[in-house]
Amino acid sequence: MSEVKIEKLCKSYGPVEVLKDIDLTVEDGSFVVLVGPSGCGKSTLLRSIAGLEPVNSGNMTIGGKQVNDLPPAQREIAMVFQSYALYPHMDVYNNMAFGLKFAKTPKAEIDARVNEAARILQLEPLLKRRPRELSGGQRQRVAIGRAIVRKPQVFLFDEPLSNLDAALRINTRVEIAKLHKMLKATIMYVTHDQVEAMTLADKIVVMNNGRVEQAGRPLELYYKPNNLFVAGFIGSPAMNFLPAQVKKGGTLALSDGQELKATLPSSCKTGDSVTLGFRPEHMTLGGTGNFALTGTVDIIERLGESGFAHVRLPSGQTIIAEVRGDPRTSSGQSAKLTFNAENLHIFNAEGRRLG
Amino acid sequence: MADAKAGAGNAIVGMGRGSYAMLLVFFLGPAVVIYTVFSIYPLLATIFNSLYLRQPDGAYIFNGLGNFQTLLTDTTWSAPFWNAFRNNCYFFLIHMLVQNPIGLALAAMLSLPRLRFRATYRTLIFMPTMLSVVIIGFTWQLILSPLWGISKMFLNAFGLGFLFAPWLGQESTALITVSLISVWQFVGIPMILIYTALLAIPEELIDAATVDGLNQFQAFIWVKLPLIFPTIGLVSVLTFVNNFNAFDLIYAMKGALAGPNFSADIMGTLFYRTFFGNQLQLGDLSMGSTIATMMFLIILIGIMCYLFLIQRRMQRYSF
Amino acid sequence: MRKPASAIAVHGILILYTALALFPIILVIMNSFKARKAIFGAPLALPTPSTFSLIGYDKVFGDSSIVSYYLNSITATGGTIFFTLLFGAMAAWALTEYKFRWNTLLTLFLAVGIMVPIRLGSVAIIQLIVELNLINTLTALILVYTAQNLPLSIFILSEFIAQIPKDLREAGRCDGLSEYSIFFYIVLPLIRPAMATVAVFTMIPVWNDLWFPLLLAPTGGKQTITLGIQQFLGQYITDWNAVLSALSTAIIPVLILYVVFSRQLIRGLTSGAVK
Ligand SMILES: Nc1ncnc2c1ncn2[C@@H]1O[C@H](COP(=O)(O)OP(=O)(O)OP(=O)(O)O)[C@@H](O)[C@H]1O
Ligand SMILES: [Mg+2]
Repeated sequence: MSEVKIEKLCKSYGPVEVLKDIDLTVEDGSFVVLVGPSGCGKSTLLRSIAGLEPVNSGNMTIGGKQVNDLPPAQREIAMVFQSYALYPHMDVYNNMAFGLKFAKTPKAEIDARVNEAARILQLEPLLKRRPRELSGGQRQRVAIGRAIVRKPQVFLFDEPLSNLDAALRINTRVEIAKLHKMLKATIMYVTHDQVEAMTLADKIVVMNNGRVEQAGRPLELYYKPNNLFVAGFIGSPAMNFLPAQVKKGGTLALSDGQELKATLPSSCKTGDSVTLGFRPEHMTLGGTGNFALTGTVDIIERLGESGFAHVRLPSGQTIIAEVRGDPRTSSGQSAKLTFNAENLHIFNAEGRRLG
Repeated sequence: MADAKAGAGNAIVGMGRGSYAMLLVFFLGPAVVIYTVFSIYPLLATIFNSLYLRQPDGAYIFNGLGNFQTLLTDTTWSAPFWNAFRNNCYFFLIHMLVQNPIGLALAAMLSLPRLRFRATYRTLIFMPTMLSVVIIGFTWQLILSPLWGISKMFLNAFGLGFLFAPWLGQESTALITVSLISVWQFVGIPMILIYTALLAIPEELIDAATVDGLNQFQAFIWVKLPLIFPTIGLVSVLTFVNNFNAFDLIYAMKGALAGPNFSADIMGTLFYRTFFGNQLQLGDLSMGSTIATMMFLIILIGIMCYLFLIQRRMQRYSF
Repeated sequence: MRKPASAIAVHGILILYTALALFPIILVIMNSFKARKAIFGAPLALPTPSTFSLIGYDKVFGDSSIVSYYLNSITATGGTIFFTLLFGAMAAWALTEYKFRWNTLLTLFLAVGIMVPIRLGSVAIIQLIVELNLINTLTALILVYTAQNLPLSIFILSEFIAQIPKDLREAGRCDGLSEYSIFFYIVLPLIRPAMATVAVFTMIPVWNDLWFPLLLAPTGGKQTITLGIQQFLGQYITDWNAVLSALSTAIIPVLILYVVFSRQLIRGLTSGAVK
């Protein structure tokens, strides 16, 4: 059992509150990814769980054991840092064995564990090298190896792939997914990369400004974002937002007079101001759908197989729509954007999801 | 529940207040104790001593600022003090006018792009700075000695033999000679510091100036020089502190009496003589402390000037 | 320097200055190997088989104390370097890594010692050393020099310690190291280059100092080589062979050390360690 449970966790640096009332459960064996804008407190949360930062209040348990006042080494966690934090003055073997030596693990046991980790991570030929003689990807694997040999209850990863180049990042991502399956480990993982988050996670936790905005399965967050922030954060390019007003008979009026007819959730009342959201990949240029918006094409970014049309509505707002293939439309022309009703998200004035 | 202690106190989770204090004591204790006992305490005690006067019976009584008044106004004390102070000012002035410009010029040449043997010059020119002042003092004493006649030989080679004089032995030239020897020894310090500052200036800035039509020399004057003002300020204050604290060279070359008729006497030698005594007078702890305190004040004023005037104005230039 | 003419001018000036800087040193060493007659007869000539003589060195090393003065200097300098580095690094680590109420104040307190020369407290230092019964001991010198060098070394080492990535220290904490082990097993090995720089900075002035040996250990066989040479020179002032050899004896080891460490030293200076 290595469930992580966090209750009402608060942490501040002097007057600045960095974590505000965080509640979070990481089920045994699950892979939880923390995402959020820079400075929202992801690293701080991870470091608090690791015991590298003292917290102001709240409760943390790992595997049912309360860990608030335990030093990092007694929490049965392992952390993989963004910079890898390999000890530059020790070879790969000693980097992995260092913590075990301090834990007074018997020599034979250390040997066995390090060799096992080296085998899993294909580090065997590199055991005698110093970190500076390794490539970025190899260093990364050593950092993971150092975590594995500790046999921790929970792995904590803080942006472990952000220093790798694009190709290596994809490779390593797959490796980490395999490793998770093999070790059946509980993992908490911070990343800025949406693809990493969506592909690796059993559960994604979206943080903003020191709070958890929403936690759920990746597709749940994609299809049913709780609020404007999550809606805008998950998905790339970001969801389009347009302000609208609920008219009599359930029509949604945009600020430039265009109207959309939709089945509104019951909580919508006539006269309410709402925000409409629709994802670029759910819109088509000139196709068919129950909804349509017209505007002028500003520019089309062509990526090859697909592209993005930036369409300006008469109100002056710009909408991004994904286009397939090579549309004939060029800038300056007028365009009709269509999409389906089930892909429309409606948020109330406070930004909460309606329906 | 994590209590308030963990949040508000130390930054190490799972460590109690007591062991955190132990940790700080372990790491800071030795340095702070040694430094306080052998550096700060003596400085304060010296200032304290300067406020007391020795009675004929050997007891010390509180004398307020009386010792300072004696030092500055009573001719038996004030004459040597002002003499040493004036000499020390000359000593400093010669360093500022000779040592630092030469250091600057050498640094400027060493930092020229594509100069060959740069490291060799740098290492060799810095060499005298590494040697003990005692050695340097004696070496120059030999070279300038009329007995050996090396300097005379050199002057003769240029037809200037008539200029030769026992410079170190003459009242009128002793101080200048000693100052120049000190300059010769320590020119490496401004050279290296300024050289470092020059290297730190991005090459693009000079390229930009070249594009603007400045030649190498103009670029140095108008672009590099303003950028190394902070370093020149630092060099000046270091020179000041070192000069007003100097002792070794004059003691090594001229002894505690500092040359014919005290003509090369500076604060450091005056302090030494006063405290330890010499052929002419008995050692005097109170007056020695008083002179040391005066030196402390002079140096403090120098540092203050640097911090308040120079440093503040120059920060605008730093990148 | 595109134009060859100005390049030649620059080299000319630099060579002249280098010659000026080296001439006295070379002159002394060269003449120390000559017989008295040749020293005066042809001071600028290299020693030849006919003028070669080691009579000066016989006198210097015949005075057996010179060797023990060397040992004194080595002990005093070595001891100072050891304690300055150890205590300096420990304090630098605590000041950069740990938060506590007096941190800033303590840093300022230590900064005083960078600017204010400890010599000004000599009167009280002597009283203190007498009180502690340490007069004419190397311990006295080591204590005073350590106090003198600690502030700058703490300052320089702090800068280097601050550059050690935070992640690395925290990896240590995750690995179960105590704060003490983090310092001794991770921090100390990583700041070795900085410690070498500080060691060189500390070594030269301590080795060359005349003031404190004169005040604290002037007699009793505990003189350092600098003071010992100074006393020797005073004693043999008219014996040129002895004087020149004594000077060379003092110069040569320093020159050798300088050549060995000049890279370290200049790199330390140019890396902005002293700013
Ligand atoms: N030692 C510190 N002292 C004061 N404030 C800090 C400290 N460390 C972090 N913060 C602040 O806490 C907030 C959260 O920082 P944190 O490092 O957790 O962000 P993050 O979500 O990991 O960001 P990123 O994605 O850029 O890594 C930031 O606003 C940061 O400025
Ligand atoms: Mg972060």
